[in-house]
Amino acid sequence: MIGCYVTGLLPRSTELIEKTRAYERGRISKKELDESFLEGTEIAVKAQLSTGLNYITDGMLRWQDLLRPFTESLKGVTVGSLTRWFNNNTFYKQPIITDDIEREKDVVGNVTYLDKLPKGLSWKAILPAPYTFVSLSGNHYYKDTAGFMFKFAEIINEEIKSLTEAGFSYIQLSDPALVHEPLTSKSKEDVLSLVKDALEVAVKGTSIKICLQTFFGDFLKILPEALDFPVDHLGIDLYGTNFEKLREYSFEKGVALGLVDSRNSLVEEPDELTEIAKEIIESIYCSNIGEVFICPNCDLDFLPWKRAKEKMKVVSSVTERLREEFS
Amino acid sequence: MNKLFPTQEVGSLAKPRWRLKGYRGKLLSQKEIAEAVKWGKKLRIEDLDVLVKLLSERDSLSRRRAILEWSAKYVIRFFESVGLGIIFDGEQWRSEMYEHVIKKTAGFRFLGYVKSFDYRYFNKAACIDRPKYVKSFYLDEFLFVKENTEREIKVPFTGSYTLVDWTFNEYYERKFSREIRDFKRRKFEAKREFLFDLIKEVIRPEISKLVDSGAMWIQIDEPAATTNTTDEEMQLFVDSFNETVKGFNCTFSLHNCYSNYEILAKYACKLRNCSQLSLEFANRDNKQIGTGNVRAGYKKIKLFENHGFHGNYGLGVVDVHTNFVEPPELVRDRILHVAKMVSDPRRIYVSTDCGLRTRTWEISFRKLKNMVLGAELARKVLE
Repeated sequence: MIGCYVTGLLPRSTELIEKTRAYERGRISKKELDESFLEGTEIAVKAQLSTGLNYITDGMLRWQDLLRPFTESLKGVTVGSLTRWFNNNTFYKQPIITDDIEREKDVVGNVTYLDKLPKGLSWKAILPAPYTFVSLSGNHYYKDTAGFMFKFAEIINEEIKSLTEAGFSYIQLSDPALVHEPLTSKSKEDVLSLVKDALEVAVKGTSIKICLQTFFGDFLKILPEALDFPVDHLGIDLYGTNFEKLREYSFEKGVALGLVDSRNSLVEEPDELTEIAKEIIESIYCSNIGEVFICPNCDLDFLPWKRAKEKMKVVSSVTERLREEFS
Repeated sequence: MNKLFPTQEVGSLAKPRWRLKGYRGKLLSQKEIAEAVKWGKKLRIEDLDVLVKLLSERDSLSRRRAILEWSAKYVIRFFESVGLGIIFDGEQWRSEMYEHVIKKTAGFRFLGYVKSFDYRYFNKAACIDRPKYVKSFYLDEFLFVKENTEREIKVPFTGSYTLVDWTFNEYYERKFSREIRDFKRRKFEAKREFLFDLIKEVIRPEISKLVDSGAMWIQIDEPAATTNTTDEEMQLFVDSFNETVKGFNCTFSLHNCYSNYEILAKYACKLRNCSQLSLEFANRDNKQIGTGNVRAGYKKIKLFENHGFHGNYGLGVVDVHTNFVEPPELVRDRILHVAKMVSDPRRIYVSTDCGLRTRTWEISFRKLKNMVLGAELARKVLE
């Protein structure tokens, strides 16, 4: 099976950007801003449908950063200062952990426009993975990282169950921190073992497809250990990973290939991407081809909306071509 | 300048309403004109009636140019009035540090706004062709400042690494797509070629004009310097700085802020002809008076010292992100604390953390005035 989807926040359209700026300057009301987000969400969903993506998100237009819904709604967390978002000219607000963290209500469900998601199609939700949330937080409470990570993994577990009930059929856990910084060979084993255990907690008792999506770094850093992570799919940023070396590994799990570059406006040639994807798929699967998804390497909100839409078309076009190749 | 602890600012100062609206060609309200008059009197600007008449006129190219000159003159007097030793014009001629340069250079196209954080965005361009110098982008501004002050001038200049890092690199990635298959390597090589073409075709020609016209000190602004912390990227940043300044008979310095100093410190000693590192520290510090342990915000100076940086520091002693007006005694103690950490107190230039463009003129005036007073107090202690 070869499918396609987006892997994070979609950009706000020019109109929506204007509304958010107007709101911040006190020129429009909260109600008008909310209406603009609703309209923006409709457009974001429609764009995914019209380009032929298989799993649809609501675009996550309200999300100020990947962590913010959690930063703002979990008990024991306060919103900290602006911090650089990995190696980008964008910033997130650091979660500051002041007490034992608790989930008192739905987090992602409360910031998602469920009504705008298309009935009868598959929905995808995106959440921060435990390792990334813990790595990017300012921890002033937990004595050890493991305790903090397991606690957050429990919260993710509750979230996944709640989102499943709400009708979602696919969960992406975004884990850029896991591949961005180099893991020293000494700590690598311990870190990856802890990540695996935390993921076990996060997925326990769930009945839904789950992908661990890595980006902003080299996926090879977490191989071969990642092949045993308790998730269905592994997401790989091919702009941070040497794919010739990736081909040396043998996969049984599905993969999400981040083939389209969200951090450059240059629109890729589908032919080139198809050829590379084909080579990777043929190399990493010895006999049976696993579930394969074609996707942007990270959030498309690094691009202006129009360019992001063109990138979605490339994702879809490469997927089509691969389906023909492997049919 | 022989005096201990010379005082400087970093670059930008807020643009007054009459500058912003006037330059956009909009008519000004009486209140906005009155604001111009109020500050004009305070700064002892001459011929204010000429400005008032200009602000009441209809939009024209000559009016816009005149408004730039007036607002630059205001800021020059502003900095002189508070007593700064080293000045510029608060970047009044520039729309913004990135856009200003890119808009005046060929080979780029603005694609629209992308998110910086929350509801803040920036207008981002793509490089769609080899960058080409079309016209100067800082020279006229520099010449105006030079004509209008006797103080030492430091020209803020947006660095090539930041310009490249903040731009979509379409042209070079497309070019390298035929040569390099691996995306990661392709991106890096494309970035390198973009960077060195930009330096050769655009940055150095502008520096050349500035130097030929009498610029003695250029500050290279590189807020993106430590965005990419790998050794390969940091070396690329160092190479870009060295290539930018190579061979010019001029003093150069580097400004960087809100950044990863662990990484920067490792590479700072590799910067050639970099007389000063202008860095933000006040933002990391607390407000208590005193030297020693209380000055936690300045401990990273040690990193630069330990890694062998021997140049001067543009020491950020004024936080530009808060309206708290640092008392002169706090400024004094920040200076004296660092004076003990470095080999020679003459290496300290007293500075704001960054440009003051997010503060009102009232707050900026008071902050700078106290900064100058604090430097004077520190001088008295050591002299």
